[in-house]
Amino acid sequence: MAYLFQPDYVRYVCSCGSVKPVSKIYFCRHCLKVRCGYCVCHEVDSHYCSNCMENLPSPEVRLKKNKCSNCFECPCCFQTLSTRAAPAPVRAGGNPSVEDTKSLAKPPPKKVYYLSCSFCRWTSRDAGIPDQFVATGGWPEQENPHLARIVALLEYHKILASRERQQSERKKFHPKRTYMQFEKFAMSSVMVRKRAGLCPLPQSQQSDYPQPAVASEEVEELSPDIFTQPLDITKITTLEQRLKHPDVQAEEINQLRPQHKQFLMKRSQRCRVCEHNVCKPEYSPQSIKFKIQLAAFYHIPEVRIVTCEPLRIGQTSELLLKLCNPTQHQTQIMLFPLSTSITPTTVTAAGTKEVDRENMQLGCESPNLLPSLVRQITVTEDPKPLKLSPQAEIILPESILILPPRDDAAEYDDTGDTHNFQDDPKLVVWRKGNKAVIRLLVKPNEDEQIEEGKEITVGFVMQYGYVNTIATLEHKEPQKLDLKIKLFLSIGKLVGST
Amino acid sequence: MSLYEGIRLISDKQTVVFDIGSAYTKYGYAGESVPRGIIKTEVKCPESGKIRKVFSYEDSQDLYQLLVEFIHLLFFRHVVVSPKDIKVIIVESILTPTEFRDTLAKVFFRHFEIGSLMLAPSHLVAVSTLGVSTALVLDVGYKEATLIPIYEGVPVLKAWQALPLAGHAVHECIKKELKTVLPNDGSDVEKTIEDIKVRTCFVTTIERSLKLQTDEPPIAPPSVKYPGVKTITVPGSVREKAFELLWERDNDNLSVPTMILDAIVKCPVDMRHPLAENILLIGGTTMAKGFLPRLKSELLTLLKSNLYSEKLKISTVKFHKAPSKANYTAWLGGAIFGIADLPLRCLTKENYLMSNRVPDWASLIDNQKSDSLINSM
Repeated sequence: MAYLFQPDYVRYVCSCGSVKPVSKIYFCRHCLKVRCGYCVCHEVDSHYCSNCMENLPSPEVRLKKNKCSNCFECPCCFQTLSTRAAPAPVRAGGNPSVEDTKSLAKPPPKKVYYLSCSFCRWTSRDAGIPDQFVATGGWPEQENPHLARIVALLEYHKILASRERQQSERKKFHPKRTYMQFEKFAMSSVMVRKRAGLCPLPQSQQSDYPQPAVASEEVEELSPDIFTQPLDITKITTLEQRLKHPDVQAEEINQLRPQHKQFLMKRSQRCRVCEHNVCKPEYSPQSIKFKIQLAAFYHIPEVRIVTCEPLRIGQTSELLLKLCNPTQHQTQIMLFPLSTSITPTTVTAAGTKEVDRENMQLGCESPNLLPSLVRQITVTEDPKPLKLSPQAEIILPESILILPPRDDAAEYDDTGDTHNFQDDPKLVVWRKGNKAVIRLLVKPNEDEQIEEGKEITVGFVMQYGYVNTIATLEHKEPQKLDLKIKLFLSIGKLVGST
Repeated sequence: MSLYEGIRLISDKQTVVFDIGSAYTKYGYAGESVPRGIIKTEVKCPESGKIRKVFSYEDSQDLYQLLVEFIHLLFFRHVVVSPKDIKVIIVESILTPTEFRDTLAKVFFRHFEIGSLMLAPSHLVAVSTLGVSTALVLDVGYKEATLIPIYEGVPVLKAWQALPLAGHAVHECIKKELKTVLPNDGSDVEKTIEDIKVRTCFVTTIERSLKLQTDEPPIAPPSVKYPGVKTITVPGSVREKAFELLWERDNDNLSVPTMILDAIVKCPVDMRHPLAENILLIGGTTMAKGFLPRLKSELLTLLKSNLYSEKLKISTVKFHKAPSKANYTAWLGGAIFGIADLPLRCLTKENYLMSNRVPDWASLIDNQKSDSLINSM
C-alpha cells in the first residue's frame, strides 16, 4: 500500500501523462493500460444524504433540488443540525397554580421540537422560527419573493424560442421566395412597399409579453444612522454565510434560516477508451465495498524504497528497492532506461511482437461494450506533458528478476522459501514470498547545476510479466504479456559534492 | 417551489448554467430562479497542494489543468451531475480573453465530453431578467468594471467601457489603510479584507465625500472591532473611504460614473435617453451599501458639470431592479435565456471536434453571415 500521509516517493506515470502513486491509479484489464482519476470518465452513480444515509433515485433527487428533505445545515457554521425535544411551554395567564397542577397531572407532557447546532450553539429559536410539534418535517420553507416574476419571464422566453424555431424552419422550406409570405397574410407587394419603413405590425403573440420592468428614479438612500450608530459586528453575517443562501443573502444573523443538506454522490469510473468500468461502488450508501475495483496495486508490481545512501555529486550511492508481486501469477521484472518505448509486447513462438490493444480490437470483437456503429465519436484529450526529469543516472541490471505469485498462506509460513531461483547475487539482496529487495546504483548528474539540499529524482521503465485472464474470441487461453510502465522515485536530498 | 418548476424538471434534460467570475462562480440549472450555490473560483493545486485562484494562471497549459480541477469539483461536488453529453451554458463577458474562452471550451469538450456549449454574453442575458430589450448594463465585479449598452436586444459594442475599478481595487485600498494591523501570514489576508469590506464598509454620500477632501472632514463613523485571532480595529475613516476610489477620477478623468456617461455619449443621439433611463447594475460590488444612491448623485452632478452639460442633454437617470441579488443577476439571465432550447446558438460536440475552435464575435470567420450568434433576442 502507499503511504497515506507521507509524500509520494514512488510515482508511476499513467498513460495520460499524470504522475501518481500506485494507490491512486487504476489498471484497465481490457486495454491493459494504466488509467488514473484524470483520464477516466467519472459518472454519478447514486445520490445520498451524508447525514441520514437516505438514497433516492435520480428523478426524485432532481425534484428535491438535490437536497435532503429531513436534514438541515446550520446557517452559521454549516454543520449538521440536530433536532432537540423540549417540553411544551406552559401557557401564561389564568391561574398559574391551577395550570401547574394540571400539567403535573398529565403524565406525558406535550413535546416541542427545535433545531440546534451542537457546534456553534445556534438554535432555530434564535432565528425566531416557531417550535414544531412533530420531530421531522414541517419546517417553514423560505420562498424566493421574485419567483412569480421569474416564472413569467421563463414562459416568455420559451415562446420566443419556439417562434425562433418556427422561423428557422420556414427559412429552410422557402429560402428564396420571401415575398410569398406576405401573400399568405393577404398583403400584396404594393402594400409591402408602402409598409416599408413603417414600424412593424403589432404581433398577435404580443399579449404573452410579461410586464416589462419599470426603471425608477427613486433609489434607496443610505440611512444617516450609519455615520453615528456603532456597528455590532457580531450581528452581521459573513459573506460565506450569505452566499450559502443566494436568494436571501441576509445581512443580519437573526435572519438566517436553516438550510437543507445537500446530497453527496457515489461515482463510478469508466475507462474512456474501452468504456469498461474500472471502479464501481456498491449502490447502497452504507456500503464501502466495490463491485468492480481494478486498482493498479492488484495488478502492477509495487516498488518501495528501502534505503538510499547519501547522495553526492559524482559519487555512486546504493539504492535498495523492494518489489512486490500482487498477482496470482509468477512475474518476471526487467528494468530499462527511461527512453524505452512502453508498448506492450507478447512472447510467442515466432519471437517478440508488439501488441496494440486499441487497434487490434477494433475488429469483430471490440473491447468496447457497444458496437462501433452505436458508439459516439471518441473524444481524445491531449496527454499531459511530463514535467519531471531525472537528476541522477541509475545503473540498471541486465538480469531478470522473477517474483513468485502472491500466496496469503505463505505470509504465516516461517519455514523458508521453497522456491529456488537462480538469482544474481549482485542484484538480489533479500527475498521472501512474493517480495524481493534489489540493489541499484545511482549517480547524481555532474553536468547539471544541482544545489545542495535539492530533492533528487531518478526514473526507469519497469517491464513486468502480466497474465491476461480475460478470455476473448481470439485468445481462449490466458495470454502472457510483457507490459511496461514508467516510474519516478524521489530518493532523497543531495548532501553535497565529494 | 411551485409545482410548475417540478414538472419541467422531470420532463427534459437539465441544462447546467455556470457564471465563472474572477472571484466567485455561480452554478445552477437553467429554468431555476436562484443558483444552486456560489463558490470561490479557486482550487487546490494537486501538485503543490496550495489553494490557487483559477484566474491566476500563467499560460494556457496551466489554465487547462486548473480548469479541469475546478470544473471537476463543480460537477461532482456542487452540481452533482455526470458531465457526459449534457448541455452547458457559460455566462461570460464579451470581453473575456480568447485564451480563457478557448481553454474553457477545450476543457468542457475534451475532458468532460459535454454535449453542447452555449456562450452567453453576460451583459446581454442580464437584460432578459427585466423583460425589456434596452438597458445600459454596468457590471462591477471583482477584477474590473465593464459596461456594454444593450439597445433593442443588440449590444452596442462601439460604446463599451472597462476600468479596473472593482472589488479587487477596493481590497487593495483597505489593505493599504490597515497594513499595520493586519496579520501578515499571507493566505488569509485576502479573506479577512473581503470580510471587513462586506461587513463594515459602505459607500458614503457625495456631500460627505466632498467634505472628506477638505481640511475639516466630517466626524468619522464609529470604528469597529473586528474579531479574530487578533482583534483588528477598523477605523471609521477606513469604513467610509474604502469605496472612494471608484468615484475618484483618475488621470484620464475616468471613474465608474464617467463610464456610464461616456458610453451614452458614444451612442447615437436617439439611443441616449432610453439608455439613461434604463440602467442595470450587476456584479457583487454594486451590492455595497450606498452604492446606488452614490452613483445616482454622482451621475446627476456630472451631468450638470461643464464636462458633460454641453454634450449630454439628459436630466434624469433611472435604475432597474432585477428580480435577484446583483451578484447573480447575470447567472439568472443565463438561466432564463437557457430555458429556450436553441440548438442554433449552441456549439455542439460534433461541430467543436470538427472545427476545433470556438466561434468568436471578434473573428471575421464567424461574422460573415447576418444571423450571427449575437442577434436580436
